[in-house]
Amino acid sequence: MIQLHRNPSSARDVLIKVVGLGGAGGNVLDRLTLDGMPDAELVAINTDVQALAGSVVAEKVQLGRTTTRGLGAGGDPEVGYTAAEEGMEEIRKALEGAQMVFLCVGLGGGTGSGAARIVASLAREQNALIVAFATLPFAFEGKRRKAQAEEALAALQRYADVVIYFENDRMGDAVAPLAGIQEAFAVADQTLSQSIRAIAGLVRQRGLVHIGFDELSTALRGAGESGAHCVFGYGVADGDNRAHEALARALKSPLMDKGRMLEDARNVLVNVAGGPGMTLNEVQILMEELNRHISDQTRLLFGAAVDPALGGKMSVTILSAVEGAVPAAIEVRPRPAARVETSPASVPPSAPPRLPEPAPALHVVEREREPEPAFIPAPEPVPEFRPVEAELIAAAVPEPAPLITEPEPEPEPAAPAVAKQAARAKAVQAKQEQMQFEPATRGRFEKSEPTIVDGQDLDVPTFLRRNVKVK
Amino acid sequence: MGRDQIVVGLEIGTSKVCAVVGETRGDGTIRILGVGQAPSRGVRKGEIVDFETAGKCIREALVDAEEKSDVMIGSVYLGVTGSHIAGFNNRGAVNIPEDRDEIFDEDFEDVQASAREVSIPAPNAFVHSLLQHYYVDGQDGVLNPIGMCGRKLEADFHIIHGVASRIKNSQRCVKEVGLVVLDVVFNPLAAAQVVLDQNQKSLGALVVDMGGGTMDYIVYVDGAVKQSGALAIGGDHITNDISLGLRIPMAKAERLKVEEGSVILGNSRPGEAIVLKDETGFAGKTIEREMLNTIIHCRVRESFELLKKRLDEENYLQFLGAGMMLTGGCSLLKGINHLAEEVFGLPVHVSHAQTVSGLTSAFENPQFTTAIGLIKYAEAMQPAQPIGLLQGIIRKLPFFGLW
Repeated sequence: MIQLHRNPSSARDVLIKVVGLGGAGGNVLDRLTLDGMPDAELVAINTDVQALAGSVVAEKVQLGRTTTRGLGAGGDPEVGYTAAEEGMEEIRKALEGAQMVFLCVGLGGGTGSGAARIVASLAREQNALIVAFATLPFAFEGKRRKAQAEEALAALQRYADVVIYFENDRMGDAVAPLAGIQEAFAVADQTLSQSIRAIAGLVRQRGLVHIGFDELSTALRGAGESGAHCVFGYGVADGDNRAHEALARALKSPLMDKGRMLEDARNVLVNVAGGPGMTLNEVQILMEELNRHISDQTRLLFGAAVDPALGGKMSVTILSAVEGAVPAAIEVRPRPAARVETSPASVPPSAPPRLPEPAPALHVVEREREPEPAFIPAPEPVPEFRPVEAELIAAAVPEPAPLITEPEPEPEPAAPAVAKQAARAKAVQAKQEQMQFEPATRGRFEKSEPTIVDGQDLDVPTFLRRNVKVK
Repeated sequence: MGRDQIVVGLEIGTSKVCAVVGETRGDGTIRILGVGQAPSRGVRKGEIVDFETAGKCIREALVDAEEKSDVMIGSVYLGVTGSHIAGFNNRGAVNIPEDRDEIFDEDFEDVQASAREVSIPAPNAFVHSLLQHYYVDGQDGVLNPIGMCGRKLEADFHIIHGVASRIKNSQRCVKEVGLVVLDVVFNPLAAAQVVLDQNQKSLGALVVDMGGGTMDYIVYVDGAVKQSGALAIGGDHITNDISLGLRIPMAKAERLKVEEGSVILGNSRPGEAIVLKDETGFAGKTIEREMLNTIIHCRVRESFELLKKRLDEENYLQFLGAGMMLTGGCSLLKGINHLAEEVFGLPVHVSHAQTVSGLTSAFENPQFTTAIGLIKYAEAMQPAQPIGLLQGIIRKLPFFGLW
C-alpha cells in the first residue's frame, strides 16, 4: 500500500501524552501501564506526594508544593485549582511537545475537579488535541461530590476537544452485584484504560479506510446536549467466527444495551481492524450484523485497518453519541480559539499565555489539528488489545462534548451546566435496568444450550423472570 | 409432469419423531398413507443432542410408519430446525453475455449463484435460496424471464442458512438408520406448503409452527418468502415452567398442560382447583387453575412478544392480508389464537395441513403439519428429477407454485 504522508518525517512521532490527574487518574495510569500502552508518554499529576510515590509511572508532577505541602487537596476543588495554578510551569513542561493529550481524571474530588481545566488549557497551549476521559463518582459518594464533578465536567468540556465520560454508577452493569468495592473501582479503571487504548489505536492505526479525529468528533456530535450520552464498545475475537464474535463482544458492553442504544444514534463510528488475513467477507458479515442494530437514518462512519499485530484476531470499536429525547438540531460550531475565555473566577491573571488573539489562534489550531489524525503512526499499533479483556470492555457511558460549545465568553457556566447534567443523569438513570439475579432453575434445560435473547435466559420460567407470584 | 410416487417426510422433533408416508399424484394432490411416530428423546430445542438415542427413536418411528402404510421406506425428506437457522433477503444479478440478447435458463443458475455470493457466518451453510422476484434490465415483476430479451437479469432471493455441522448431524443420524436423505428442508417452509394455499401466499401470511422445542416462523408476502427463522422456545418450555412453578414432575406437568391448560386468564372460578390424584411415588396435589393458566400465559405471551419483535425488524406484519396461521403441537393450547391476535394484531387461525386426502386423523392434527408439508414440498420439487434437456425449464415452473 502506498501512503502519501503530507509530512513523512513527523508521521512516526505523533507524540501522545497520557496524563493521569489526581488519585483516580493515577490509578488509571497504573492500569494502563499494566495493560501496556507503548508509544505514549505517561504523566502522573497529583497533589498527594504519597500517591505519586506509589505510582509506577515514570514522569510525575507534584502540584501545590506550598499550597498543600505534599498532602492531597482534601476533596476541595478550590484547593486543587490553586495547587494547579502554582504548578503551572511544571505541568507545561511535562506537556511540552505533545500532539495529543489524553487526560484521565476522576471528577468529584479535589485535585481532579480543580486542576482538570488548567491542565486542559495548558495542553491546548501546546496546540495538542485533547481527549478527556473522566469518571463521575458513584451515587453513594454523596451529592456534594456529584455536584463538584458535574461542574468540573462542564468546565472541562469547554477546553477539551472530546470529553468521554464514564458514570461509575453504570459500571454496576459490568460488575457482579456482590463484587467488592475495590473490584468495582478496578472495573472503572479498566474500562477507562480500554477506551484510552482503543481510541489511541483508532487515531494512529494505519487504516485502509481511515478513521480520523474528524470522524471521531462527528460520531460524538451532540453528546453534550442534555439527556445525551455516549456509547462505547470494543470487542476482539479470533477463530472461525471472529467477525461475529468480535461484534457480539462489542455489543455486550453494558452501555450498549445489546446494541439497542445504537438504534437512536445519528452517527455511529465503527472501526474494524484485523490481521492481514482479514477478508472482505468478514467485514461484510460484521457490518451487516451491525446494520441490524442501527436505523436507516444513521450515518455510519466506517473505518477498516489491517494491523499485523492482531494476528488472527479481529477487533471492532464502536463509538457513538445517543441523543436525549429532544434531537435538537446540532450544528458544528467552530472550536473556540485556543480558548477564548474561561470562567472569570477561575482564570487567574497568572495565566497570561493562554489567550492571545482568539481569531488567529482559531486558525492555527484548526490547521494544525485537522491533519493530525491522518498521520500514519508507528508500524505496530495497538498490540495492546487482548482478547481476554474484550469481554469486559466497553462499559462506560462516555459523553463527549466533541466541540466546545460557546465560542463567546460565558460568565457563569456552572449553574446551567449542573441543571443540564442533572437532566442527563436522570435520563441515564431511567434507562438503567435492574440487575438480574440468576435463579438457578432451568429445569430440564439445565444442561442444554441456553436460549438467550436480549440478555434474558429464556429457559428460566417466564413467571420467575417477571416476578409473577405463583403459589 | 409427475407420476404417482411415494414420498416420506421425516421430522425429528423435540417431543416426537414422526414419519409421514404420502402418495403424490400426477395432478398435484397428496394422499396420506400412514403416519409413524415415536416419542423423541435425545432432541432438545429442535436439535439432536444425543445421537444414539435419537437414532433409536427415528428407527422406531420409521418401523411404525412402514407397518401402518405398508410401504418399504428407503428415502426421506428431512425437516430441520433450530435457532441457528436464519433467513435474509438478497439480490443476485448477472449480465447476459454480449453474443446473445436472450435470457437462457443457465442464466437462472448464474443469478442464483450470484445471490448466494453473500457473507454468512463461516460455520454456516445454505439450506434454501427461494426465489422472490425477477427483474430484467430493471423491469419489475417479471414472472419468467427465460426467453425474454435483456442485458441484465436480476433476482431477489430469500436465503436460509444454518450451522452446517448441526444440519449435517441430523442428516447423519438418518443415514445411520439406513435411509437416504433426498433433501433437507427448513421446517416452517414445509409447514407453509400445506397450511397456506396459493391465494393466501399472495395475500401475505405468517405461519408460526410452535412445536415442542422451537417456534418456527415464515412470512409470505406477494407469494414469496420474505422472512423466516426459528426461536428456541416451545412447548417444552411451558411444561418446564409448570413443573418448576407447581413443583410436579415433568410427565405430570405435560399432561396437565395438554388436558387442563389454557392461556386465557380470569376464566376460572376463584379458587377453582385441579386435583392430581396420589399415585405410587407421587403424593398427590391440588393445583389452582388460575395459577396453571398464569404460568402458561406468561410463557406463551412472552414467546409471541419475542417473535413479534423479530418480525417487526422487517416490517412485513402490516402487509399480511391472510393473517397468521398457527400450527404445531402448541397451537392446541386452549385460547392460544386469542392471545396471538392480541399480541400480533392480526386475525389468527389455528391451522393444520390442508389440501391433502387420506388419513383424516393425520392431517387434522397440527402436530403433523410439518411432516406432511415435507411431502408437499417434495411433490413440488419432484419434477427436478426427470433428466434431459427439459430439466432446467421444468424445474423452474414449480418455483412459482411454491414461492
